[in-house]
Amino acid sequence: MSISGIGSQTSLIVQSLVDTRRQLDDLQRQLGTGKKADTYAGLGLDRGLAVGLRAHVASLGGFDNAITNVGVRINLAQVALGRISDITHQIKAATLQPGAIDSNGSTNAQLNAYLELGELLGLLNTQAGDRYLFSGRSTDQPAVETLDHVMNGDGARAGLKQITAERKQADLGANGLGRLLITAPTPFSVRLREDVVSPFGLKLAGVTSNLANATVTPSGPPTGTTVDLTAGNPNDGDTIEYRFTLPDGSTESITLTATTSANPGPNQFAIGATSDLTAGNLLTALTAAVGKLAATSLTAASAVAAAGDFFNVDAGQPPQRVAAPPFDTATAFVAGTPADTVTWYTGEMGADPARATATASVDTSITVSYGLRANEQGLRWVVQNVAALAAMTFSQSDPNAAERSAALNQRIGTALAVPAGTQKVEDIEGELAGAQTTLSAASDRHRQTKATLSDMLEQIEGISNEEVASTILAMQTRLQASLQTTALLFQTSLVRYL
Amino acid sequence: MSLTQALATAVSGLRVNQAGLSLVAANVANADTPGYVRKTPIQVTIAAGDLGVGVRVAAINRQLDQYIQRQLRVESSGASYAGLRAQFYDRLQNVYGVPGSASSFESAFNDFKTALQALSTSPDSTSARAGVLSSATVLTQQLNSMSADIQGLRGDAEFGLADAVTRANDAMQRIAQINRQLGTADASDATTASLQDQRDQCIDQLAQLMDIKVVRGDHNQVTVFTSSGIQLVGIEAAQLSFDPQGTMTATAQWNANPAQRTVGTLVLKGPNGGDIDLIANRSIHSGEIAAYLEMRDQVLVEAQAQLDEIAATMARALSDRTLAGTPVTVGTQAGFDIDLASLLNGNSVRVTYTDNLTSTQHVLTLVRVDDPAALPLPDTATTDPNDRVIDLDFSGGIASVASQLNAALMQTSLQFSNPAGTTLRILDDGAASAVDVNAVAASITSTALAGGSAELPFFLDASTPYTGAITSIGGQSVGFAGRIAVNAGLLADPSKLVVFQTSPLTPAGDATRPNFIYDQLANATFDFSPVSGIGATTAPFRGSLPQMIRQVISHQGDAAHAAANLKEGQDVVFNSLRQRFNNTSSVNVDEEMANLLNLQNAYAANARVMSTIKEMLDTLLKM
Repeated sequence: MSISGIGSQTSLIVQSLVDTRRQLDDLQRQLGTGKKADTYAGLGLDRGLAVGLRAHVASLGGFDNAITNVGVRINLAQVALGRISDITHQIKAATLQPGAIDSNGSTNAQLNAYLELGELLGLLNTQAGDRYLFSGRSTDQPAVETLDHVMNGDGARAGLKQITAERKQADLGANGLGRLLITAPTPFSVRLREDVVSPFGLKLAGVTSNLANATVTPSGPPTGTTVDLTAGNPNDGDTIEYRFTLPDGSTESITLTATTSANPGPNQFAIGATSDLTAGNLLTALTAAVGKLAATSLTAASAVAAAGDFFNVDAGQPPQRVAAPPFDTATAFVAGTPADTVTWYTGEMGADPARATATASVDTSITVSYGLRANEQGLRWVVQNVAALAAMTFSQSDPNAAERSAALNQRIGTALAVPAGTQKVEDIEGELAGAQTTLSAASDRHRQTKATLSDMLEQIEGISNEEVASTILAMQTRLQASLQTTALLFQTSLVRYL
Repeated sequence: MSLTQALATAVSGLRVNQAGLSLVAANVANADTPGYVRKTPIQVTIAAGDLGVGVRVAAINRQLDQYIQRQLRVESSGASYAGLRAQFYDRLQNVYGVPGSASSFESAFNDFKTALQALSTSPDSTSARAGVLSSATVLTQQLNSMSADIQGLRGDAEFGLADAVTRANDAMQRIAQINRQLGTADASDATTASLQDQRDQCIDQLAQLMDIKVVRGDHNQVTVFTSSGIQLVGIEAAQLSFDPQGTMTATAQWNANPAQRTVGTLVLKGPNGGDIDLIANRSIHSGEIAAYLEMRDQVLVEAQAQLDEIAATMARALSDRTLAGTPVTVGTQAGFDIDLASLLNGNSVRVTYTDNLTSTQHVLTLVRVDDPAALPLPDTATTDPNDRVIDLDFSGGIASVASQLNAALMQTSLQFSNPAGTTLRILDDGAASAVDVNAVAASITSTALAGGSAELPFFLDASTPYTGAITSIGGQSVGFAGRIAVNAGLLADPSKLVVFQTSPLTPAGDATRPNFIYDQLANATFDFSPVSGIGATTAPFRGSLPQMIRQVISHQGDAAHAAANLKEGQDVVFNSLRQRFNNTSSVNVDEEMANLLNLQNAYAANARVMSTIKEMLDTLLKM
């Protein structure tokens, strides 16, 4: 305000004209910018609310960005998981068909498995932008090693094939009898026992005998059992059943039948003239049957177990290897080190749920968890079994090859059906689908909230064009009238009429 | 002889008419002169002898309503106070930016929050990390420049004061000078009247600068006082002095103690000696000077404190971690051990204990203070209204700290000791059970970017950690908004936005730290110090940072709006008074013209009288 002094009458009139003009200018600015005021002071009482609303709108923008980003990531993960699920079904189907062994020592199902394993590993390395989706929190690192490293190792670091071979030696033992010793402590008896206390080889689970005159005496540890025929011969058709637990947890049994036939078939033993001869026959038959079991089911089970040892890694749980050499007399596992064993999963490991490794706030108090780890039970199980199938080799000349292949196929096929109560790929897909639902619900809600908030903000900060325009019109009229009157006032002076 | 007498009378009439004419001429000529008051002649009849009656101009009258003039001056002080205040508030509003525009403070903060949301979603993304750092830099720069703007405004107020003081001195000198001139001649002629006009104008100028009282004395003298009663002008003028400071900073503040005062102060030197500090005496309540002082020492200081509080809370929200005490039992005594090795200047330990005699829980806040000049701390040093604040001098080690505490807290029965190293042990009184220690926790400023926890020194005070240190000149928080900066270490290595420990290395996709930063800035609630003018000492404002920003903007908007309203109201009052004053005092040309006609007629009539007398004399002589 300019105060030039008391007494200048004209300045008062001019002042009011200037004020009107200023108001007119401000209205024009309002019309131009669409905003009520260019300072917080001019917004009126709701200025605080306006700040709050704008902060809310901004945070909704942030949430929407998160929803878009996370939505893309989950979609990509779902595509990968869908394909993994398909592969599971394909391989499972392939294991149901007995395949011929080709010149490279592989069955059709195995060739398939090898290819699909490559695809599985590729899928687990899926990226959204630069972010690896299956690496837990280590989103800047690939989730899994390459197919070649996983199968064949990398320099000094052993791969699955080597681990499987070592485990096979440890399970079969030097004599190829699954680490069992089958001996005759007396001429009338047959003793079968584990060579040492170890986690390897066939584990004697029990013996059921209905051989007449036979005394079955368990012993151990190492667990064993002795069948004593000192009392006399068994009768024709009497049986003795040995039950074994295999490294993969499956059970197999050998049932030997006493026979009077001169040429006993497989799993039969001839009743001799005296019971010591019978015991000798039993020993021979048992050794042959155990040898056969070791070469077929045990080898397959060993490969499945080795895959478990190799793939089941987590925080504080490195890959397990046979503590050796020598492998065939090994009695314990040893943890593989990063220097000597490939760890197939290269992402972040932790005891917390995999889903919690990536979370996104999509609303003030709603968080979506969508993290994935390739070593999660459900994913690992598929990779592990497909790899076990792919790693085995056969020889066309091996008489047991077909049976071993069947044993392996049967085991993998069962495993891929996924035991009840453990995580399946479909479970993961379901969890992510839940997250997707939350995302889209939040997104819809945000759209509505944003519209409402923007409306309110517009009411506080915005202007009504009609109102401003009519005010301008009214003010213009008033200013014109005022100017004319002022002019008139200055003209009507007595001076002009004297 | 009566004819000659009549002639003399007619001549006196002509003389008065001429005087009247010259006043009309003067009035018309000065119609637009500022400060000019309409003059009218005062005619008196003069008697001489039995019949002789003449006329003369006894005095020149100034058409002045003194009551309105006094009121006008009061309102003129008020109007210039309100006008200047509104102008400053308006400029202060610009500091916060245009509502909703990209350059506004709230947008800068919202952008930072949005960038943090993006980082939470993609902790591994290089661009999200860069986005957080660049928006944080923008935010700190915004705070820095807002702070500089506010200090600029304070600087303007400081120079405005210096200028106002010069103008006030000029006006006072002039008033004193006119007082002396009028004192010599006790006349009421035209000169006197115009001198009075000039003096009134000077007084009006002074009234715009400060609130004054004018007392009229004999012999056309006036004495001017401040409204609090200190004489400014009589025959002699007092001298106002002001010592402006060249550059204004947030720490530069007025203080009654001259040793601690770092801005200019207003001193009145009386004509007879004796200095009076007008600010310390609160002598000026209105006018430009009062507006400048209010801006410089209150409004702008408070605006700065609000920004400082926001900056300090932002820094501490991200850097302060809580270290809980370890429970310990010694014999029958139970309590806590706490390691104070990393307690920095300004960090504090909170001890909660129950007085079993009264069953009341008490809170002690033990604050490390390195500046002995700041001691002792009042209980208001923390925002918690219910705690007792104890300052601790760490220069003598923890053993000395323990003995300081034992000395200060003798009555509480709490026992403090230093069992080993940097550990402070706080025990209750054991079997007597008069007191129980409930909890002990230290709030410690993290100084390492990868210190193993989510807390990090995201914002620094230029290049040192912000610990909230308390010093004799107010503490680290004063002017912090002007110095806050994003940690250079973070700018050099953005991965530290995610990596909070190096062994085992935090994975790149770990959102722990981004989530922590976002939560602290967007949702966590804090107590804000009442120095910001928001909240009270007994009930500090508690809310999240966005709420505080909203409060600040709302508070400032309200104040600016109220200032503008006050100005408008004051303008209306002032203008209407001025109109009324003008009605009596200013020159109305129409009225003057009518007077002119009157005078012309009167002159003609007088002349007619003279010519008649002449004819009569001629007749007489011809006889």
